[in-house]
Amino acid sequence: MTTDSTWAAPQPDPTLHNPIKINPETCISCMICDYVCPGDVIYKQPRSKELPVIVFPDECWYCGLCEQACPADAITVVFPEEMLNPTTPVTSLLGVDPK
Amino acid sequence: MTDVPWPSDGVTELAADVLVVGGGVAGCLAAIEALDAGATVLVADKAKFLERAGSVAGGVDQFMTPLNGGEEWDTPQHLMSFVPGLTDGLSDLDVAERAVHELPRVFQRLTDIGIDFTDPTTGEYFRTRAFGLPGEYHLNFDGSKFKYKLGRYTVGHGAKFLPRTMVTDLLTAPGGDRVVGAVGFNCRTGERYVIRAKAVVVSTGDINRISRNISGLPFDSWHFPYNTGDGHAMAFRSGARLTNMELVEATLTPLGFSTQGTNSYAGQGAYFLNRHGERFMFKYDPKGEKARRTILVDAVIEEVLAGNEPLYVDIRHLPAETLDDFVASLGIDRYTLPGYFEQRGLDIRKELLPIGISEMSIRRGGSYFRGSGLVVDTSAECNVTGLFGAGDCSMVSGGISAAAAMGAIAGRGAVERVQATEDELALDSSSLERALSWMEQPLVATTGRGWKDHEDRIRTLVTDYVGMRRTDRGMREARKLLATLAAEESGLEASSFHELMRTLEAKNIRLAAEVMTEAALHRTESRSGAAHRRLDHPETDDVTWKRSIVVSRAPEGGIRMEYMSETELPTAAAVGSGT
Repeated sequence: MTTDSTWAAPQPDPTLHNPIKINPETCISCMICDYVCPGDVIYKQPRSKELPVIVFPDECWYCGLCEQACPADAITVVFPEEMLNPTTPVTSLLGVDPK
Repeated sequence: MTDVPWPSDGVTELAADVLVVGGGVAGCLAAIEALDAGATVLVADKAKFLERAGSVAGGVDQFMTPLNGGEEWDTPQHLMSFVPGLTDGLSDLDVAERAVHELPRVFQRLTDIGIDFTDPTTGEYFRTRAFGLPGEYHLNFDGSKFKYKLGRYTVGHGAKFLPRTMVTDLLTAPGGDRVVGAVGFNCRTGERYVIRAKAVVVSTGDINRISRNISGLPFDSWHFPYNTGDGHAMAFRSGARLTNMELVEATLTPLGFSTQGTNSYAGQGAYFLNRHGERFMFKYDPKGEKARRTILVDAVIEEVLAGNEPLYVDIRHLPAETLDDFVASLGIDRYTLPGYFEQRGLDIRKELLPIGISEMSIRRGGSYFRGSGLVVDTSAECNVTGLFGAGDCSMVSGGISAAAAMGAIAGRGAVERVQATEDELALDSSSLERALSWMEQPLVATTGRGWKDHEDRIRTLVTDYVGMRRTDRGMREARKLLATLAAEESGLEASSFHELMRTLEAKNIRLAAEVMTEAALHRTESRSGAAHRRLDHPETDDVTWKRSIVVSRAPEGGIRMEYMSETELPTAAAVGSGT
């Protein structure tokens, strides 16, 4: 069994909403957010001062495990407009007749 | 063009008496019980740590069990007498009974390992009545560290843990009717594993990301979006029987954020209002807001169709203390919910909370003590020898309680199977080749097509044609669209091991959608409220349909169907087949 090796994570698509805001002033560059994220969304290079990278922002569940576990209180989960002010009518989830 | 080579030509070979696939509540209990009996246990999960694996890693707030506390309703026997009514003919009552009787025992075990189920303010159990159950079986507790403690205990008890590992397929012996292990890979490093085991417990949870929701964000789901039916799919590909796959479950949810917690609103005495201020639930069920979840969802759909939107949860009438406790408790079940209300500028103590319905999951169709998944016997073993199922991927499920109970039963059953097994189990090398080839297909594909578009198309066709309101015509359309997706699937391309995981998940979701469509087409009635609603067959037909549809892979390809009644395992000849 290997441990997670240093891994060149792909860069996130900048057009996507970033759900996980990390405060660069308070982040202590530990690995915890990377370790606890259930979606493999957050990547932090081990033994490095670099900030964690939210590599797959559109795969976030908004569970907040990272925020909860962060020992430096440096993480805030930020909800996107689609969730705060949704415009989709419930009827659109109820099925249609095939054409 | 993809160029993601495996980190090495070879695979890492591992072995254990019992392999547990999925390290949630069911998987941990299976591991603990197997370790108790002296077996060696390996648990594999997509998470980095077992403490953080599974759908309740972020917290949970209820555990359901009778406690033999003296009240007439407080026994497994009393609870069991209501199970046939709850499960609507779609459960195996022998297995359900085994699970119900296991509840107090597994509750005691969890207490013994240090989980505190008491109310921190009183030191007593705080019990509520929910989901139409005939007593106050739900214990409200602070389970924010529940999974952490359970995972930590499991590892300390001796389980080996394989982190960040997606198990992709089972391995079988020559002849195909005996499971002898599984294959998987690490989603960061790409290390591949061939794991030999004398028994495999599949506890991979329910199936999500299969239909659209209000926000349009696929991972904004009520239940864990990283549960994608991987266990169902690998079991099906290995010849295991699945049941109740046509049953779906959605929930009432804050409009815009798909979260769990409906039962706590209802349990606390919240009103559900329509735009006229009417408590509409009493039109649909004498229990009002405390009706079963599937009835709640059905009622919301009716209200939406009747033009009575927007719909609201109203807790403003609750006493101030109750409100304080309730609002504080919302963050236990879903940590980010209080922050969501804050960012939305909504004070639910003073304002109405707009609600809608969530996306659907394939998971027990809203009723406890039945499940959508692997058909198991009273030892939790499947028709394929050596394969066990527990939790939301098995046919008797019900939150963390039934997951714990069935997990414990599966762990003990797995050990019995190990003890009855000769030392060496032969491996069918073609099953290994097939499994490794399926696992790497997205790394060698060169079409440029990815999993996101594939999954979006699945969600659209499921929502439109196999969702909350089904018709023969719609589902035949879905069948055609799914066949197209199936034909294109071998071309899906992944450019990292993370993407490989998502791509294989997408394929498993597609298979689940196909199985769901075939079973739902076959069931020419409506049953259990929103769990299976046919516009062309609106009536419940107990004469023909008070029984489960069992699906398995037909030897000649396609889907074989059988029936299973509450009291009899599937023995009937094939009754039909899908595409």
